[in-house]
Amino acid sequence: MSTRHDAHVLIVGGGATGGGLAHDLTLRGLRVTLLDRGEVTSGTSGRHHGLLHSGARYAVGDREAGVECIRENTILKRIAPGTFECNDGLFVAVCDEDLDYLEPLVEGCTGAGIPAQRLNASEALRLEPNLNPDLKVAVRVPDATVDPMRLILRFFATARHNGADIRPYMEVIGLLAHDGVVTGAAVHDHVTGKEGEIHADLVVNAAGPWSEQVAAMAGAKVPMTPSPGVLLALRGRYCNMVINRMHKSGDGDIVVPQRGLSIVGTTSWVVEDPDDLSVPEDHVERMYAEGSKLIPALRHAPRRAAWSAARPLVGSAGAASGRELSRTFQTFDHAEQDGIDGFVTITGGKATTLRGMAELCADVVCRKLGIDEPCRTHETVLLPHTAYYSEALAA
Amino acid sequence: MSATDELPGTAEREQPGPIRHKGPGPSESGWLDPRGRGHGGRALALHRVTGLVIVFYLYLHLGVLSMLLVGSSAWSSFLSVVTAKSFLAFEVVLIAAVLFHGLNGIRVAFVGSGIAVSRERALFWAGTVIGTAAVIFAALHVLGALS
Amino acid sequence: MSEEKLPPGGPAVTQTGHEDTRRFRVYRYKRGDGGERFDEFEVPVGPHTTVLDALRWIKQHEDPSLALRFSCLHASCGTCGMQVDGHEELACVCSVQDHGEQITVEPLANLPVLTDLVVEMDGFFRRFPHEHPIIRSSGCPSEGEDGEAHLEGGHEVTLDLPSLVPLHHHPLHHHHRAATPAVDFVRLEDCIECGLCLSACPVAATSHDYVGPAALAAAERLLEEPRGVEREDVLAWANRPEGVWRCHVGLECTRACPADAIPAERIMALRRELMFGDSDDEEGKR
Repeated sequence: MSTRHDAHVLIVGGGATGGGLAHDLTLRGLRVTLLDRGEVTSGTSGRHHGLLHSGARYAVGDREAGVECIRENTILKRIAPGTFECNDGLFVAVCDEDLDYLEPLVEGCTGAGIPAQRLNASEALRLEPNLNPDLKVAVRVPDATVDPMRLILRFFATARHNGADIRPYMEVIGLLAHDGVVTGAAVHDHVTGKEGEIHADLVVNAAGPWSEQVAAMAGAKVPMTPSPGVLLALRGRYCNMVINRMHKSGDGDIVVPQRGLSIVGTTSWVVEDPDDLSVPEDHVERMYAEGSKLIPALRHAPRRAAWSAARPLVGSAGAASGRELSRTFQTFDHAEQDGIDGFVTITGGKATTLRGMAELCADVVCRKLGIDEPCRTHETVLLPHTAYYSEALAA
Repeated sequence: MSATDELPGTAEREQPGPIRHKGPGPSESGWLDPRGRGHGGRALALHRVTGLVIVFYLYLHLGVLSMLLVGSSAWSSFLSVVTAKSFLAFEVVLIAAVLFHGLNGIRVAFVGSGIAVSRERALFWAGTVIGTAAVIFAALHVLGALS
Repeated sequence: MSEEKLPPGGPAVTQTGHEDTRRFRVYRYKRGDGGERFDEFEVPVGPHTTVLDALRWIKQHEDPSLALRFSCLHASCGTCGMQVDGHEELACVCSVQDHGEQITVEPLANLPVLTDLVVEMDGFFRRFPHEHPIIRSSGCPSEGEDGEAHLEGGHEVTLDLPSLVPLHHHPLHHHHRAATPAVDFVRLEDCIECGLCLSACPVAATSHDYVGPAALAAAERLLEEPRGVEREDVLAWANRPEGVWRCHVGLECTRACPADAIPAERIMALRRELMFGDSDDEEGKR
């Protein structure tokens, strides 16, 4: 596909945000170059537990997020068929206190347009025999399981096939600016060790929790609070549906099946440096404890891996744990914020809304470049993830 | 695409890169290196080696037989070589090679046809036990026959 | 909710303060200067440190030019495959405690190196059959009227594929039938396309055309559950010299596989199908 518009956009960051944006802008006919210091999705995007949100988790406290989620959930299942385990999810009450959350949950889901179906204990156990036999009640919602990397790779595959230059192992080491306008980036190529420069009409900062550091290269301010959490992968596939705890967001409130593993997550704390992530053993213990309240067999399941990933939360410190900050996303046009033109940051968000985030940012990008093109990503079926590696599989 | 040509390393990324392989020499020797391999990979290597040994021995044997057409003096000197203890020891090694190749060959024939796949380990150990017992018996017989 | 700031330092640093270090010999290669070499680094490790943790520590504290490929950090994406002391591993779940004082790390074999520990996966994916769905039935079929197990399309699926190695047994793994629930669930295929099997295969180094264990296993899974692919097409694809017949039963692929995808057993099942399977379709094709 040749470009329709004479505009070149440079995207810094090869995660879900960058991938979604590269795909959207390519479809709108712009020339796109995307750079990542490592492999695509090697930042936060590849590390999440693999949940495609129905939005039910947010329906009670954050209706806007819930509405976003169910809309994007439906779109993603349409544009990326064959990538999701569409087995639905359950919110499970394991004690009497949990029951207080039942009505708010169902009301919240109904208000946000999220299909929610009440199930009694025996119905839930028939669907998922390994659940805690003491469960009281369950609510069925359209959660799904996804392989995080492979879904994002479909966006990259499609963008690349349509002409975008996706360049992993190319690290941005500085941003070039002239008269208060960002004109490109200074780069270090990890494949050859050489350095160079690339110029573009607009640079988009999609570096997730590293957005603050990248923005600072242009003298712009993006207040980020990287907020890691621990996830635990246990050997054994103990459920087919996503199992959520029926209470407010808390540690270890979800179990997601991933092939032959069960992923229990997560916790939350704050750091300054997103490369500085530890995996505290007491958090791992907490995952075992909370996970086994949902599925008792998890208590003795062998550990496959324990890892952490930094959520890209927008907002500055003052937040103690990270759970208080909003998970919706924000676009910063630095011409308005910092007097620096040619530079836009998009950050925040969560995996389920990657396409929607990209659409809003692409609208901003096109507006700045004076390009009038509608978004087509909600109706364009993506290429299979293997097409990222091999043109032969794109046919 | 002038902007993309700006990025360093573009031409280098298109070139073919080196390929790591196991094995002591060129990539065609990859099957030979037993390090880091399980019983299957080692058996495969030994199967090929014993196969080559058996083929080599066959040609050697045919060559020697043709030399024996000369007459009784050739036969006597031949006998003195092949009844020497060192030669008999080689014979035991050859017997071991033939036994290994045959028994392993049976295992590979079954498993490679999708038969008894779940009992592959049992086949391997059965072959090992039978083969070892047969080699010991042969060794005692062949070497013990001298006295 | 914890409010304390957690101790700094990457996951390689142990929480207990107990100092343990290992020497890592790491393969390096940058295009352009052509040289392949090994660099050595002393890395602090803890009881749960993985090889990938150690490599990321090296990249962050010692040498930022070290190129690494990784994504999910939990053996799901399959991108961090490499050879650790000559044996294929996913670095994110390979514990340094299972190795000695010196640990040698190299890229996977049989695929071209892009840089340092990163190989180019194009060649790996090009070997696969053209149709390569990654979602399948979960193996928990609903019961049909005749009491037999049925899946989408009504095909009975052979779930009792024998395994050469102990699988990580659990109730709902697709190798074991579970209690039959009321619905048909789906799941991602076990294979995570990591390439460890191709690296471990003794034949792949000699025969560069051999499609390899992962591709053949993918074909066998299409026989197990067709998902719209014609059986004759799959068998024809496998029934080539560079297909299923190039395998010499080394069994290294299943041994290397980190995801219970049992490629060796699947290759043997394919061969059995080709040799002894329903002959109607095949005789016409030969």
